[in-house]
Order: sequence, then structure tokens, then C-alpha cells
Amino acid sequence: MWQVQWMLGLIPEWVWTTLLVGSIVGLLSAWLLKRIPFVSQYRFPIQAVSVASLLVSVWFISANSTNAVWEAKIKDLEDKVKQAEEAANTKNVEIQEKIVTKTKVIKEKGKTQIEYVDRVVTQDKEVIKYIEQCPVPKAIIDAHNAAAEMNKAAEGKK
Amino acid sequence: MKFIILSLALVLTACSTPVPVKPKFPEAPQALKERCEQLRKIEGDKVAITEMLKVVIHNYTLYYECSTKVEGWQEWYETQKKIYENVK
Repeated sequence: MWQVQWMLGLIPEWVWTTLLVGSIVGLLSAWLLKRIPFVSQYRFPIQAVSVASLLVSVWFISANSTNAVWEAKIKDLEDKVKQAEEAANTKNVEIQEKIVTKTKVIKEKGKTQIEYVDRVVTQDKEVIKYIEQCPVPKAIIDAHNAAAEMNKAAEGKK
Repeated sequence: MKFIILSLALVLTACSTPVPVKPKFPEAPQALKERCEQLRKIEGDKVAITEMLKVVIHNYTLYYECSTKVEGWQEWYETQKKIYENVK
């Protein structure tokens, strides 16, 4: 079916306009022929052909104009989609860079904190005394580890 | 005459087949798609308080890394929503 539509689409617009004008002329002629004796016998075939060609020409003129409107809308939408995709990609790059930078800063801060514990906190006399005398009770370690894995309970693994 | 007028009104509408233009679902940044790491546990039975402290600091770091990703997802969603709404 689309092949027929495609072939009809190749016919230029002026053909349908000419057919429309011809149909109107045909209808007027049929009306005039009614008044002329002997020739009036051709009135009905001319009228029938003119009505048919009028309908066909109006159909194709309307189809062409409707198609042009839709094509313009599609083009407009395609442009907007393209712009949106470009904007989305630009924003993605911004977000990616922001996340990478923030993550790097957080990692560095964490590392610095741990280095500070190793370098300063563990050298503190009071802390040394505490480390030697009071290891962390197993119950506290277990409670901490259970808290660290509480997501597994939510996932139904534990 | 009535037939012609009615038929003309009908054919004036012609036939139209709208071609759908669908925007592609936007790809999320790679940094957001990485999963958050599992929190670290304290290993061993006799652990010094400083070792425990280091694990806690490490876990805080993991929390902030993960919350950064969540904020990133929120920002990504809000901006993509605005961009998509402008297409209509």
C-alpha cells in the first residue's frame, strides 16, 4: 500500500491544482450543456468525471498540505530532541566531573584522618596506656560488625 | 450537490499518519552507576581502640562517598526531567 502512496507522492502539486481547476470547469460545462439541445446527452458523463476528479484533487491537495504540516512538526520535534540530547550529555559530563572530584576529596580526607590517628593519636601517652590495658571487648566489636552488615538483613541474606 | 459538499468536507481532512519522534532515554554518568562499597568490619578478637577508630573513619568515608552518589542521582534526575519537559 505504501508503494502506491509513495508513487502518488511523486506527482507534483501543480498536477492536482490543474485537476481541481479542470474539475470546476467540467462541472460548469456540464451545467451549461444542459441548456444546449442535442449536446446535452454528454452532460452526465462530464459531470460524473468532474465530480470524481474534484474529489481526488481536493483529497491530494489536502493530503499534501497536511503532510507538510506534519513534516514541519516532526522536524521541530527532532531539533528539540537533538538539543535535549546535547544538553543531557553536557550535564552528564558536569555531574561526572563533580562526583569524581568530590569522591577524590572525601577519600583524601579519610586517608588524612587515618594517618592522623596513626601519627598523633596512637602516640598519645594516655591512649597508649588505654590500648595496653583495655582492648575493645568482643561484644562491642560484634555489635559494630552487625551494624556494618545490617543492609544484608534488608536484602534477606541474614 | 449535498453529496459533493459532504464528500469535499471529508476529503479535505485527507489522511495523515503521524510519525512518532521519541527522545532516547538519557545515559547516566558512569560515576553514578558504580555501586556503593560494603562497610568495613573490625577483624580480630582483641582489637585496640585506635584500630576500631580507623575502621569507623573508613566507614564514614564510605558513607560520604555513597551520599555523594545519591546527591548526584538526585541532581541528574532533576536536570534530565527539566530537559525532557522542554522537549514537549
